[in-house]
Amino acid sequence: MSRGILAVGAYTPENRVPAEAFEEAWGRFDAPGVETKAVPDADEDALTMGVQAARRALSASEVAGEAVDRLAVATTTPPLEEEDLTARVGSYLNVPADSVRRTYAGSTRAGIDALLEAIDGDGTALVVVADCPEGEPDDSREHAAGAGAAAFLVGEDAPAVVTGRATHADVRPGTRFRQHGSENVEGLDIGTYDRAAFTEPIEAAVDALEDADAEAIALQAPNGKLPYRTNLDAEAIAAVETVSSLGDTAAASVPLSLAESFRSGHERTLGVAWGSGAGATVFVVEGTAPVEASLDGDRELDYPAYLRRRGDIVGEKPDGGAAHVPVPTWRRSLPQRHRHEAGVCPECGAVAFPPDGACPDCLSLVEFEPVEPELEGVVDAATTIGQGGAPPEFAEQQARQGAFGVAIVRFDAEGGEVSLPMQVAGGASVDDRVRAVPRRVYVEEGVPRYGLKAITL
Amino acid sequence: MRDAYVVGAGQSKYGSFPDESYRSLFRTAVENTVDSVDHGIDTAEIDEAYVGTLGVGGRQLGLPGPAVTEHVGLHGVPVTRVENACAASGYAVRQAVMAVRSGMADVALAGGVEVMTDLSGDAVRYWLGVSGETEWERMSGTTFAGVYAQMASAHMREHGTTKEQLSHVAVKNHANGSKNPKAHLGFSCTLEDAVNAPDVAEPLNLYHCCPTTDGAATALVVSEDVVDEYTDDPVRVAGVGAASDRVGLFQRDTYNSVPASKKAAESAYEEAGVGPDDLDFAEVHDCFAIAELMAYEDLGFCERGEAGPYVESGATRIDGELPVNTSGGLKSKGHPIGATGAGQVVEVFDQLTGRAGERQLDDPAVGLAHNVGGSGGAAVVHVFEREDRASEEVDA
Repeated sequence: MSRGILAVGAYTPENRVPAEAFEEAWGRFDAPGVETKAVPDADEDALTMGVQAARRALSASEVAGEAVDRLAVATTTPPLEEEDLTARVGSYLNVPADSVRRTYAGSTRAGIDALLEAIDGDGTALVVVADCPEGEPDDSREHAAGAGAAAFLVGEDAPAVVTGRATHADVRPGTRFRQHGSENVEGLDIGTYDRAAFTEPIEAAVDALEDADAEAIALQAPNGKLPYRTNLDAEAIAAVETVSSLGDTAAASVPLSLAESFRSGHERTLGVAWGSGAGATVFVVEGTAPVEASLDGDRELDYPAYLRRRGDIVGEKPDGGAAHVPVPTWRRSLPQRHRHEAGVCPECGAVAFPPDGACPDCLSLVEFEPVEPELEGVVDAATTIGQGGAPPEFAEQQARQGAFGVAIVRFDAEGGEVSLPMQVAGGASVDDRVRAVPRRVYVEEGVPRYGLKAITL
Repeated sequence: MRDAYVVGAGQSKYGSFPDESYRSLFRTAVENTVDSVDHGIDTAEIDEAYVGTLGVGGRQLGLPGPAVTEHVGLHGVPVTRVENACAASGYAVRQAVMAVRSGMADVALAGGVEVMTDLSGDAVRYWLGVSGETEWERMSGTTFAGVYAQMASAHMREHGTTKEQLSHVAVKNHANGSKNPKAHLGFSCTLEDAVNAPDVAEPLNLYHCCPTTDGAATALVVSEDVVDEYTDDPVRVAGVGAASDRVGLFQRDTYNSVPASKKAAESAYEEAGVGPDDLDFAEVHDCFAIAELMAYEDLGFCERGEAGPYVESGATRIDGELPVNTSGGLKSKGHPIGATGAGQVVEVFDQLTGRAGERQLDDPAVGLAHNVGGSGGAAVVHVFEREDRASEEVDA
């Protein structure tokens, strides 16, 4: 075998909002073929979802982040319009500082472009694709907008390889775009023109393939209807589509369907990525790679709760901040924020968190040896911070998400144990088992701060 | 080492006072303190001052000590601001005792002041969060009540403590506070009221949490060389103990007790030559109901894990075997952070000198004050005794 996909990880948020919720609110639902869609929680974004998927890709291949030579991140919805996302993603995953980094953005084709270029490269590559598009509340693109992430580990001797590829670009402005400084995807909704801007580049690219036959077609899905307007096999598209349950996942749309295809055991998959503007990238994958994914979501939101999650009907956070942690201080603690890195005392072997200052056991002033605790732990003390009771930094999150738990969680760490305070989504009780997951902690001075929070298992 | 005595103590009323400033509240406390000195005192005789304050509201972040001492005419007196969160003025009293015992001062003023109720709800939560561990605990979204709620969850898990037992603390302290004209929340409540109050941070509800309060309190600590000039009935500082601990609860070995309290109490008892059985009453730090229950255990009033049944038994009621928080405690009397520790000393002084009015105990001789900073990052314990009792012991 040759270079290709070694493993795949996929992640979607727990929240789902059904089409009926929109129909009740608006009297209509403008995203045909979408039955439910995934909604990021108030502290989730493309970065946190991408890290979740990447963790799973690494887990599925039993490769550690330290072994990654190339890291690529692709999204049309970066948390900041300018700032290198790969630095934070790499920190979460412990990717070496000298690994090659690439960021892909600005098109829903970005994820597949990143994947194919990683396959063209060398070494062990990790491709992280995550997206959570938004639009104006009454816009068809917003009704379709979902959320999800997929990550691919790419390397030699891969079980899934790309055997053919083609691209096609043709100028078709106005079908789907996001203006400078805007969070909302929009379009001109010019019926036939829009459909042609989608179908014609795709069909041209597929025609350029020597052999486009496939059991499954992982096709870009801005909604649940447009994919079937192409001349491609509807049954093969439907076999691995995710848009009906997750909504439009933008750059992650084709990667998620590819993960579905691998999970279903389809030995030959046609991937069809499309980006407005317009262009298509198509490719054929032979074989399947192991997948670690959980694409189900069991927390159903009604429409008001959905608007709260989006932040449409909550106020801004209060001013001030005596407990302000300056960015340089925060930065010094990133191994702890992102990976809960603790320290083993070289004198007595006790594990300290944070690994700074005197050893909690023998009280010696030592240089701790880094150790990463397990991601699953046990709650030893807990409470729930009810609506209106959150510290001001967390007031907006609570307004969007509701009450949250705060707990002291104990994790195993190489023969020792370490305890730390954690926010627990939805609450926790003493003795609960929880898992540490990447989440945005808060935004201050315009800078998102990321860390680990806990979810109950 | 010289003995130190409390010859006067006084406080402002605790509460919410939009027309008062931190300076005016401090003035009221000093005036009441001066009035409480049996033979009177000229404030020019004060050699040294210690002022506890957290600095809530962002006003006078630097030099709050001189800001209040100069305001009350203590011109030129060396003054030190003491900050140990809610234990600020408990530590200010300890500093005054140290100054007197060491010979540096014959007369020292110790106290504290805080204005909290003129802030927006958001601003109060910001400032209170500063008393905890700010980089990890606070950044997990925990509030001050949240940390104590975590302790309550651990106490309940370990010892089977119940919400009803927590509520007994509120009922008792409000019953006492209803007899204290200086109390912030001077009303009584039923067990049903306390059990059914809305949650703040479960398992703690509104009646398990103290209020935020404006107020000031001060005490005059003098040396054995000059005590007779001020009173014939002095209150001796029999024992002082203090200890610190890791600021974050998660960094400690236990979540259901306050080790710094235990350590401070052991030192204070040892120095005073007494044990918990010798106490006639105590003012303990009940910022949350669970804090009072943990104090019972940490200070040795009952066995570890037995605080729930102990409060339920009525032992700590004003007519019980060991009355606790006869003032109403932080729960009812109020909790103006920087003033709280000194305010506890005011109650002990009033009880030992027979000035506690409706809540006066029957001839108490030994009292304890226990003041905690944050969730236990600092604690200070003082044991006070009436000099006539000490003399009786010597005579015996």
